[in-house]
Amino acid sequence: MNTIEQIRKGKSGILVSGNHEKIVQSILDFDFLSGKEEPSIVGIISGNKKAQKFFFGTREILLPCYKNFEAVPKSSAEKVSWLLNLQSGRRVFDSTIAFFAAYPLALGAHLFAENVPESHATELIRRFGADKLIAGPSGVGLVVSGSLKLGAIGGTDAVQLSASHLGTPGSIAVVSTSGGMTNELIRAVAMAGKRLSFSISIGGDRFPVTSLTDVLMLAENDEETSAIVYFGELGGTDEYEIVELITAKKLTKPVLAYIAGIIDEAFDEHMQFGHAKALVARTDESARAKRDALRAVGVVAPETFPQFLDEMKTLPQNGFQDTIFDAIALLERSKSILSTRSILDLDSAPVFIQDGAIVRRGDSTFATAALRALLGREISDVAAAYVEAVFELLIDHGGNVSGAVNTMITARAGRDMVSSLASGLLTIGPRFGGAINEAARTWLSGVLSGVSAATFVEAAAKEGMVLSGIGHRKYRVGIPDPRVEALAQFTILLKRHSYYDFARAVEAVTTTKNGKLILNVDGVVASVLLDILVEEDHFSAEELQELLEVEFFNALFVIPRTVGFIAHFMEQKRNDEGLFRLPDELLFVRPSIKKKK
Amino acid sequence: MSRVKLSEYRAKKILLGTQYQGLSIHADGGDAMPTEGRWVVKVDQGVKKRFKQGLVVVDTPVAELNTAIESWKGRGFTQFILEPFFPHDAHDEQYFSMERVRGGLRILHAKEGGVDIEAHPEAVKQYLITTGADAGTVAAASGIPHQFLVQCMEVFDKQFFTFLEVNPLVIKDGEAHLLDAAVLVDDAGAFFTDAWSDTDVVKSKARHPAEVRVEALAATTPASLKLSVINPDGALFFLLSGGGGSIVIADEAQLLGAGALIGNYGEYSGGPTRQETYLYAKEVVGVMLASNAKKKALVIAGGIANFTDMRSTFSGIIDALCEIATDMRAAGIKVFVRRGGPNEAAGLKIMRAFLEKEGLSGSIEGSDAIITKAVDDAVAFIKS
Repeated sequence: MNTIEQIRKGKSGILVSGNHEKIVQSILDFDFLSGKEEPSIVGIISGNKKAQKFFFGTREILLPCYKNFEAVPKSSAEKVSWLLNLQSGRRVFDSTIAFFAAYPLALGAHLFAENVPESHATELIRRFGADKLIAGPSGVGLVVSGSLKLGAIGGTDAVQLSASHLGTPGSIAVVSTSGGMTNELIRAVAMAGKRLSFSISIGGDRFPVTSLTDVLMLAENDEETSAIVYFGELGGTDEYEIVELITAKKLTKPVLAYIAGIIDEAFDEHMQFGHAKALVARTDESARAKRDALRAVGVVAPETFPQFLDEMKTLPQNGFQDTIFDAIALLERSKSILSTRSILDLDSAPVFIQDGAIVRRGDSTFATAALRALLGREISDVAAAYVEAVFELLIDHGGNVSGAVNTMITARAGRDMVSSLASGLLTIGPRFGGAINEAARTWLSGVLSGVSAATFVEAAAKEGMVLSGIGHRKYRVGIPDPRVEALAQFTILLKRHSYYDFARAVEAVTTTKNGKLILNVDGVVASVLLDILVEEDHFSAEELQELLEVEFFNALFVIPRTVGFIAHFMEQKRNDEGLFRLPDELLFVRPSIKKKK
Repeated sequence: MSRVKLSEYRAKKILLGTQYQGLSIHADGGDAMPTEGRWVVKVDQGVKKRFKQGLVVVDTPVAELNTAIESWKGRGFTQFILEPFFPHDAHDEQYFSMERVRGGLRILHAKEGGVDIEAHPEAVKQYLITTGADAGTVAAASGIPHQFLVQCMEVFDKQFFTFLEVNPLVIKDGEAHLLDAAVLVDDAGAFFTDAWSDTDVVKSKARHPAEVRVEALAATTPASLKLSVINPDGALFFLLSGGGGSIVIADEAQLLGAGALIGNYGEYSGGPTRQETYLYAKEVVGVMLASNAKKKALVIAGGIANFTDMRSTFSGIIDALCEIATDMRAAGIKVFVRRGGPNEAAGLKIMRAFLEKEGLSGSIEGSDAIITKAVDDAVAFIKS
C-alpha cells in the first residue's frame, strides 16, 4: 500500500526526538482540527523530563518524555510509525539510525536540521532511501490533510492551519524544496478553492533522503491526488527528473510548476541564493532552461507567479466538506501549574470528639495522614507505625548539630520563628540530615545491580564515591547507635527485607576497614522503609526510583526535625541572651605573615 | 548544508600530507619566503579561471616572486600559494574531478586537460564509485593511479570533501602530481574534523562592509541571515524572509523591468529573535540610506512563514526603522509590506501603526494578498 494511504488508514503515531515546543503544539492543534480524539504524538525523547505539558484543543495534556527510544513502554511503542527528528545537524544521523533500529517497521521520518553533513545524508539514503519516507534533511516536513502533520509544515499557529483547511482531505499534492514556499503554496491551494491531499517539503539540502522522483511517484500512485503543484528554483537538476518521469509515462497526473530564479539574468555573475542547491554551475540549471524543458513535456509552467496562482484555480478537485473550527479559541490558552490530585479532602473533616469523649481514631494518625499526602495513596499499618517511630526518633538530636546551632544563632540575632526555622532547615543537606534520600539511592542501586556487597563497596571506592547511609562521627563498632537498633526491629515484621540485608552486608564490609563506618540512622531509615514499601505496600522498583527523584526520603528528616528546631528557637527566645558572638578561643585566626623590613 | 571553497594550500596539505612542499603566503606578511629554486606562484582565493585572469605565474626565480605578489595585492588579493615548479610537457596534462553525488563519488577524467577542457566535453569519461572495491576498476579503466584514488576517497569520507578538481593532473612514473587543485568542503562537517577549519575557507575579495557585518552576526545565531549588496546606488531595497519566497519576489522585480534597480539581496529566516532581526535590518536600511538613487523604496516581504514569528521579527525591524525614520521621511522613502506566518495579525498591526505614524507607509498586506504585492507596489512607486 502507498505510504500516504497507510497514513490515512491511521498509521500516524509520532515519536519526537529533541524539542521545539511550537512545532509539537502545532501538530496537536492539527490533530484537534482534524477531529482526532487522541494526539498523534506518542512521546518525546528528551533526557531531563518525565512529561511536558501541551494543549489538545483548549484542554491541557501531558505528553510523556523518555530518555531514549528503547524506554518507550510497549503499549505506546506499538503506535509509533514516524520519527520527528528535531535534533541539531550534528546529531541527526545517530538519532535517526537509533530510531529505525528500535522501530524497524516505522514508515519514515522528518529530519528538521539544516546543517546535516552531506556524507551523513548519503549514508541515510543508502540505508533507508529504498523503503522509508524521509522528508529532509532540512525543510519543514510532511502533511497529509486530516491525518498527519510531521513538522512545521503548514504553519505553527492554529490560525494558519485553519486558514489553509488542513483538516479537510483534498486532491492537490504540493511539492517544494523551499520550506517557506511549501507553506505559501499550501495556502494558495486553499485560496484557489481547492484542498490539499498531501504535501512534502523535500528540503533545500543537496541530498534529500526521499527524492523528488520518490515524492512524485507517491502523488501519482495516490488515488486521492488529482494534480500536483510544484515549486522549484534555479540550480540543481530536479526538474529534469520530472521531465524524465513524464516522458517515460510514469507520471501522468497534471503538473503545475513555478520555477523561480529568472532574477539571475539581471546579474553578471551567478549568485548564491539561500539554498545549497541554488549554486548555478551549468547553464541548463537556469530557471529559464528548466521552465522550457518542463513546458516541452506538457507541464504548465507560467512565466509569472500571479499567472501561476491563476492556473491553480483550474486544477481538478474532488468534492470536499470543511469542518467548522474555532481557531481563535486556541489563541487564548495559558498553562497552569500542574496539580493532578487533591492532597487533602478539603470538604470533610474527621470527627474528633463525640458524645463528650475523644474519638479513638487508631494509631499513628499523623504519620498516616502525612504519608497519604506525600505518596498519594493509602498506606499499610506497618508503614505508618514505622514512620511514626522515625518521626519520634528524629525530632531532635541535641543542640550541637549544625541545624540546631544555626537556628539558635538566628534566634539570638533577634529573628522571628520562621526565619530561625528556615535558617536551620537550610542547613539540611548531604552532610547533615539530608542523606536519607541518597542512602535510599545507594541501597536501591545496590540491590538492583545484583552484585555482592563487597563488589559494590569496591566499585564505589574506585569511583571515589561516599556511601550515604554509612559512617558516624560518634558511634562505632562496639558503641552502637541505639536509634539504629530500635528502627531495625521493624524488619522482624517483614517476610523479606533485602534492602536492610544489603545495607548490613555493606556495613560488614566497610567496618573491616574502619570501625566508624557503621550503618547510620540515615542508612537504616532508608533501607527499612524501602523494604516496608516493597513488602507491605507493594511499590515497584520504578515507583521507588520515582520517589528518589522527588526526594521523598528526605521528608522523613525534615518533618520531625522542624519540631526540634522550633523547640530550640523557643528556648533561645525564652532565655533571651542577646546576640551571639563566637568566642575568640573557638575561632582560629591564622597569624599573618609579616614582611621583613 | 552548503559547500564552501577550501584554500588550495590546505586542500593539498590534506590530500598529500607531509610530502607537499607548497607554502601559504598572506598579504599581511610574516610568512617565510623561499631562498632558492624555481617556483609557481598563484592567488589562492578560489578564483575561477585563474590562469586566464593572470593570477598565476609559472617557473619564476625566487627574486621575482615578490613582484607578482605585490601586483596582485594591488588588485585586492590577500592570499597566495607558492609551489616548486614541476617541469612537464603540455600534452601530459590531464583533467580529473571527484564529486559526492547521491549514489556515491562521481569521477570525471580526461586524458587531455588544461585550461581549455570545457571546449572538449567529448573527451571526458565518467565513473561512479559506490564502494571501496570500485577504485580498482576505475584505476584500471582510466589509468589514474590506484593509490591516488584511494587517498581521495578516504579524504572525501573522513574530511568532508565534496568536490575536488585537479586541472591539470600529471601522471609521471605511476604517481599523480596535482598542479592546480580546487576543493569544496561541506561546511556542516567542520564540527567533526580537525583537518580544516573556518580559517581555511577562502574569502572572496572586496566586499561591502555591511555584508561582512551580517556574516559575523549570522555566525552567532541558528537563524539564517544573509546579505548581498548588489548595487549600492539601487532604488529597491529588500528585507526578505525565506529562501524560496525571496527569489519569487526578486523575480517579480526582474519581470517588471526593475532588475537593475535592485540594491540588495538576502534573507532573514529560521526564526531570528527581535534583537537579531533588528541588527540585520539596521544593515540593510543603512545601505539604503547611503544610496544615491533619487526615489527609493523598502520592501519588507516574504512567504507565509512556517515558524518564524511575525510579531517579534517585525518588532525588530521597527526598532531599526525607528532610528532612521526622520531620514527616511526626508528622502521620501516608502515602505511596502507583504508577509504571513505565526502571529500575523499582531505583526501587521504594529507595523501598520508604526509606518502610518511616521508617514512611511506605502502598502501593508498579510497572507490574504499575493506574495508579489509589495514588490509590485514598490516598483510602481519608484517608477512613478
